[in-house]
Amino acid sequence: MNRREFLSASAIVAGSLCAPGILRAETVIKLGVLTPLTGAGASDGPRMVKAMQAVVEEVNKAGGVIGRSIELVVEDDQTNPEAAVRAAQKLVGVDRVPVIMGTWASAVTSAVAPVCWESKTCLMTVSGADSITQLPHQGYIFRTQPNTALQATKHAEYIASVGAKKVFYVAVQTPFAATMREQIASVLTAKGSSLVGGLIYESNKTSYRSEIDSAIAAKPDFIYLNSYSPDLTVLLKDLYRAGYSGGRITQSYAYTSKVAEGIQADVTDGLITVQPSSDVGSEAYSLVQKRLSNPAADSYEAQATDWISLALLAVQKSGKVVGTDIRDAVRLISQGGGTKVYSAAEGLKLLQQGKDVNYDGASGNCDFNEKGDIMDCRFRYSAAKGGKIELIKIV
Amino acid sequence: MEIYIISMCVVAGIYAVMALGLNVMWGMAGLVNLGLVGSAAAGAYTSAILTKTFAIPIPLGIMAGAIVAAAVGAVLSLVTRRLKEHYLAIVTLGFAETIRIVASNEIWLTNGTDGISGIAGPFRADLTPFQYNLVYLGIVLLVLLGLYVCCQRISYSPLGRVLRAVRDDDMVVSVAGKNAQSFKLKAFSIGSGIIGLAGGLYAHYTSFISPDLFVPLLTLYVKLSLLVGGVGNNRGAVVGAALIILILEGSRFVVPFIPYISPAQGAAIRELFLSATLLIVLRFRVTGLIPEPHDHPVIPRPGTATAGTSIKAF
Repeated sequence: MNRREFLSASAIVAGSLCAPGILRAETVIKLGVLTPLTGAGASDGPRMVKAMQAVVEEVNKAGGVIGRSIELVVEDDQTNPEAAVRAAQKLVGVDRVPVIMGTWASAVTSAVAPVCWESKTCLMTVSGADSITQLPHQGYIFRTQPNTALQATKHAEYIASVGAKKVFYVAVQTPFAATMREQIASVLTAKGSSLVGGLIYESNKTSYRSEIDSAIAAKPDFIYLNSYSPDLTVLLKDLYRAGYSGGRITQSYAYTSKVAEGIQADVTDGLITVQPSSDVGSEAYSLVQKRLSNPAADSYEAQATDWISLALLAVQKSGKVVGTDIRDAVRLISQGGGTKVYSAAEGLKLLQQGKDVNYDGASGNCDFNEKGDIMDCRFRYSAAKGGKIELIKIV
Repeated sequence: MEIYIISMCVVAGIYAVMALGLNVMWGMAGLVNLGLVGSAAAGAYTSAILTKTFAIPIPLGIMAGAIVAAAVGAVLSLVTRRLKEHYLAIVTLGFAETIRIVASNEIWLTNGTDGISGIAGPFRADLTPFQYNLVYLGIVLLVLLGLYVCCQRISYSPLGRVLRAVRDDDMVVSVAGKNAQSFKLKAFSIGSGIIGLAGGLYAHYTSFISPDLFVPLLTLYVKLSLLVGGVGNNRGAVVGAALIILILEGSRFVVPFIPYISPAQGAAIRELFLSATLLIVLRFRVTGLIPEPHDHPVIPRPGTATAGTSIKAF
């Protein structure tokens, strides 16, 4: 094959690529899905897609939305901001979707967000970074993952509820370490306990003896360890050596099975771990379990179910497939005085009868504040016992 | 559809600029650089910080980014002066990761993993997204054209000849009385500066940068562009970049027509398209689509143009 042949062959292939878009009929409602299918998020993305497809199938079987059936256009964000921006531009430029659901990594969401709000497209995400909803997004971003402030509030409420009076805050250097401390302090004070001190440490040190000494000098009865796994191991050991016997709480992502294996059980016994949870036991969650035939559906699947449900209900409510109208309609169907509904199909039926609905989802009650953050969410509290994790409660 | 095509042309243009920069290092001087995202990050962050914090004009910010990236390239060249080929490749790969980790941790400067958002774009506030993309495409094409001309000039200048000599055998260059090291440093600085400029262009185009942007994936896409287009050829760099974006984006429209596959499998097939392209090109055209030219574009090589007549003469 010479160069001329190669180039003309490439041109033919390129030309044929454009054909499908022209051939497809425009009677269906296209909604955009942008999840990681390759890269670091590839273990979560495909499950989120399946959860959304399951809801779409259910709704299509029941007659669709505003008399039209739904089609999900799925693109891979490759867990990479550069690739994700290209994919988002395809979704808004070619498929003209009014909503994009499913970005996972915070950097990807931040990169895709300007594309969305400039093209008046809603963005529903699971990314946790606080900075995301602080972007000038004009209301187009909806986040079902609790932000740092909500997490801090809930954790502090739990600490106060177990009777701790003097709490000490130990955190690894992160963008959110300081804001979390302030939030915890204010919630504790409101609940009648107090934050007796706090420190922010550098990660990956081999000893935290001096940090632990200064923490114990404040005589706390509860220590909040906002750490990553490697540091947590060292901190727990140093606390044990110092003879500390009060309560300890940490994020579940820090207390991994590897950490548990690396430390003796007496050092970790009684350590509380916490993570955001889907609304296990709620009606919407049991519907997800049934729909996905998965009794252990996780937080991502629950959130994915809620995005598509909210988007479909908002389309039905506004009667239009336009990003701006969906943005304005989401809060009308997610919160307020309407009839409580737990699935898109159920809510659509009521909306078609002209009734108001309030969607309560599998990840929580899906009430959004003016910045697009959820206002409430469930958390799963567990305790380490003999090297294993035992569920305490989900509140 | 139009806005999508325009925005992909912008991205292809930025890829092409990076490929031109890589061509100076790799194509001309034979320096394998797997750390080009490091240079892009230096350029992007410099321009983003300068225009955001000190409110200097965007063109100056991008120029400053290019200069910083060139300086970074020079330092990298000095650090790696004893290394060649695979060893050089590994160290440059590590260099790019170092830049990324610095950007993740120096929160006071780079805002850490949250990244820098709201980076100014030219006339962005006054234009519709469509107009903005069109304006930016114009800017990128102008920059690309300018750099292409510069790179062509370099390629056929005495500097370009020495760089090719360094690539083919730096011992011979030394014997001829040239300081091979200083030429490698020049190639690294120029190439890195061009890539830094592309990084700045990207930052101002999308308005957001974060450390996660500058991962080896981007390096590989650009490297692939040059490999497919033709290592050592500036035209090849531009054509290759356009082709890579065409494959990356075009495959989106093909995959939905493959029956019985899940979206995750479709995503995997898209990656497969890319690797298949690489394999096909390397199998049938190992020099790339447009191989390195051996003749000056304007001045004919003595002997070739007159070959016909000279044969008659004998």
